[in-house]
Amino acid sequence: MATNEELTEQLKSREYEAGFITDIDSDTLPPGLDEDVVRAISAKKDEPEWLLNWRLEAFRHWQTMAEPQWANVHHEAIDYQSISYYSAPKSDDDAPKSLDEVDPKLLETYDKLGIPLREQAFLAGVKNVAVDAVFDSVSVATTFKGKLKEAGVIFCPISEAVRDYPELVQQYLGSVVPTGDNFFAALNSAVFTDGSFVFIPKGVRSPMELSTYFRINAMNTGQFERTLIIAEEGSYVSYLEGCTAPMRDENQLHAAVVELVALEDAQIKYSTVQNWYPGDENGVGGIYNFVTKRGECRGDRAKISWTQVETGSAITWKYPSCVLKGDDSVGEFYSVALTSNYQQADTGTKMIHLGRNTTSTIIAKGISAGHGQQSYRGLVRIGKDAEGARNYTQCDSLLLGKTCGAHTFPYVEVKNSTAIVEHEATTSKIGEDQLFYCQQRGISEEDAVSLIVNGFCKEVFNELPMEFAVEANRLMEVSLEGAVG
Amino acid sequence: MNDQMNDHVHDRMSESATFTEQLQDRFVETQKSLPGAHESWVRVLRKSAMDQVVSQGMPNTRHEAWKYTDVKKYLDRLLADSVEMPSLNVSEEMLTAFSFDDLDSLRVVMIDGKVSQALSSLKNIPAGVRIESMADMFAKEPDVIEAYLHDQHVSGAFAALNNAMMSDGVYLEIPDGVVVEQPLHCLFLSASGDSASYHIKNLIVAGECSQVTVIEHYASIGESTAFINAGTDVELHAGGRLEHYKLQQSGSKEVNIGSIRVHQHRDSYYHSHSVAFGAALSRRDIHVEMNGEGAECALNGLYLVGGRQHVDHHTRIDHVRPNCRSRESYKGVIDGRARAVFNGKVVVHENADQTDSAQSNANLLLSDQAEIDTKPDLEIYADDVKCAHGATVGQLDMKQLFYLRSRGLSEDEARNVLMFAFADEVLTAIKVPQVRKYLERIAFEKLPHGAELDGLLG
Repeated sequence: MATNEELTEQLKSREYEAGFITDIDSDTLPPGLDEDVVRAISAKKDEPEWLLNWRLEAFRHWQTMAEPQWANVHHEAIDYQSISYYSAPKSDDDAPKSLDEVDPKLLETYDKLGIPLREQAFLAGVKNVAVDAVFDSVSVATTFKGKLKEAGVIFCPISEAVRDYPELVQQYLGSVVPTGDNFFAALNSAVFTDGSFVFIPKGVRSPMELSTYFRINAMNTGQFERTLIIAEEGSYVSYLEGCTAPMRDENQLHAAVVELVALEDAQIKYSTVQNWYPGDENGVGGIYNFVTKRGECRGDRAKISWTQVETGSAITWKYPSCVLKGDDSVGEFYSVALTSNYQQADTGTKMIHLGRNTTSTIIAKGISAGHGQQSYRGLVRIGKDAEGARNYTQCDSLLLGKTCGAHTFPYVEVKNSTAIVEHEATTSKIGEDQLFYCQQRGISEEDAVSLIVNGFCKEVFNELPMEFAVEANRLMEVSLEGAVG
Repeated sequence: MNDQMNDHVHDRMSESATFTEQLQDRFVETQKSLPGAHESWVRVLRKSAMDQVVSQGMPNTRHEAWKYTDVKKYLDRLLADSVEMPSLNVSEEMLTAFSFDDLDSLRVVMIDGKVSQALSSLKNIPAGVRIESMADMFAKEPDVIEAYLHDQHVSGAFAALNNAMMSDGVYLEIPDGVVVEQPLHCLFLSASGDSASYHIKNLIVAGECSQVTVIEHYASIGESTAFINAGTDVELHAGGRLEHYKLQQSGSKEVNIGSIRVHQHRDSYYHSHSVAFGAALSRRDIHVEMNGEGAECALNGLYLVGGRQHVDHHTRIDHVRPNCRSRESYKGVIDGRARAVFNGKVVVHENADQTDSAQSNANLLLSDQAEIDTKPDLEIYADDVKCAHGATVGQLDMKQLFYLRSRGLSEDEARNVLMFAFADEVLTAIKVPQVRKYLERIAFEKLPHGAELDGLLG
């Protein structure tokens, strides 16, 4: 069967389209990390005393922690002292009031990525999407603010939220992912520079999908995003996050923290398309993506849904999780991950059932090609009091090529006898019988492979909001293109 | 909070450091009296295994492989002196409780870690087949077992400790092409009331195209608080077939830890049944390495636990060569405050194409105080493979329950029928009818109200 080999070849040589560097002056701290750096970041952001103390506490905690070694990934040791922890576009001194004031080079960068910031041109004519574009570390442009404000929705950079809504931030920041949760979360808590803040008040349905594009730009600066989303009683929000990064030879560290809080009857839908630079075909360069994402269903009947399409990054270490505290609350995790060349991904989810009649669904699809190594690592824990809890887990892996790997490490811990937990996993290559069936009906081999891969991912893509489904499809096409059409 | 946690880790580390030192002292004391002391390779093997124990430390819950199983409170038993002579005189009659009806079998009986020639019965052994005590092999023919033991690399502190301290066990050798019709029943009895530890080592070498059934049976008489640390090594040559039963019926205060390591050559077939009913804490590490094309293995397991029992199965199947097939099915019923752990790993190595592997673990939780921690792992480094695994935790089907109730069965009867059917699926794979019947009876009695409803079994 030539198809798989061809496919592998194509994947190997797949070029990173978004790889370019925008040359603008950055206001960057020298590499290194100590308390002074934490203080400097806090000072640069004009932060209140409590937040500085919070950061310092996190930093001190971080110093006592060791980098986790359990993930099934291999990389050179990270020298945390060689990273610069702050980098902001120069124009930060005079924050732009509108798009016209934004550094044109910056806008150009987005244009090259095909992410026009301008409202009308947004996402090939898809309207009603607000973008809080994060360029390196400082949010530079926010759109649709007025319309959201009208609905009572707060959607702004977190640094702004600290200034304008300090009591909200103080109440919720670190309440889902505590500062000492894990090594990377502690690091993030100490040095986070920016991120998004979303607050949906009681009973409000967000009038549009909220969307943020992240981008790493300046050389040698890690990106430490902090996102906090709070959905009050009975509210609904769909949040989209997408990432691209320019080509680099040195590994860059990305350690974001995302916290979601859903109160009674609230729903949060969080979608990610991650396409950081994965390194070249020899495994040189690429982003280290060590992310802590966790949502808490605090109230009864709350629902949190994670959907992710992971095609980028040299190393991904990411477990979007749901803590189902409220009775009848629901957690969902839909994921497609693609690793090719020398990419490594250790990703999955945790579903912690604490409330009664809580339900969770996990659908994870992994595609591995080239020398890619992929692990699904998941935890389903049913607590003592989680009467009537239900979980269904399915993880499937598709292998393209002799040198790739696919691994599954599901943990199931059940402490309640009324729980029903099911876990299923399969691993296979594209079935020759499936290919034969398609070809026998006049579909070319390439089309058949494309068809099968599409079908394999469909269950997850269906969960993406329309705009993202388009992008995700495009991404998979780019990733698998030459081989299938 | 975290500082506290760190302190704990330090505590534990220093504790286990002093513990392994004590263990090493004990090893140095007893070393000379352990079998094979006159052979240099045996001394080297024991010494390096002990070094591994010391450098690795005894497992604690910070170790991934021991995350759910805490052995700490039982470790002291490893330091207790093993009894010189069985304190209880075991008679032939006492063994009837542990024999299988009219089964015509070869029998080796070990009392408190030592082979008892008087109780063993080895009649009509086919020509060329050797059934010996391991202690004798170490003493008289160490060269014969050297090839299988001398450069053994084991993972895990208990397996290493077993290599360091192994004293006796069963040696079974079957020449090429010989089919042993009678099953070999190896009965390991604890009869002493002391907290002694036994490091049992069994070695099975099955020649090309040979066939044999081995029953490794652990049980106890009286209130034993023994710590059994067993190791069974199997070498299965090309085309060999081994039916391997491991029945664990240890006393309720015993600790039964052990490993089974199987090395399969081409076209060989290994079938393991691991049934665990007893012990306060039991743990089995079963590691099958399929090192020849066309090899096949099937691992079945059943655990029925209640009270405060703890049962742990860790299995690992390595598909090293192409065209191998593995099947695994473990089932468990957990009641009371018991806790069950299952970890099944399947590793498909590079180039092990045409691998076909399926694994499943199903659990019935009967009580809110019971806990199950299951983790079916897959690690795959080849592409032309078919691998699947599944794990479930649940309760009895209400519809099935209703069906039986509507046919006039009482609630207890209906529940037992369904539970028994659930567990029996594993037992039906047992090919020796007498063994199956024996186990079915024990399984049924282990179920809630099982003893009262014995009539249902027929």
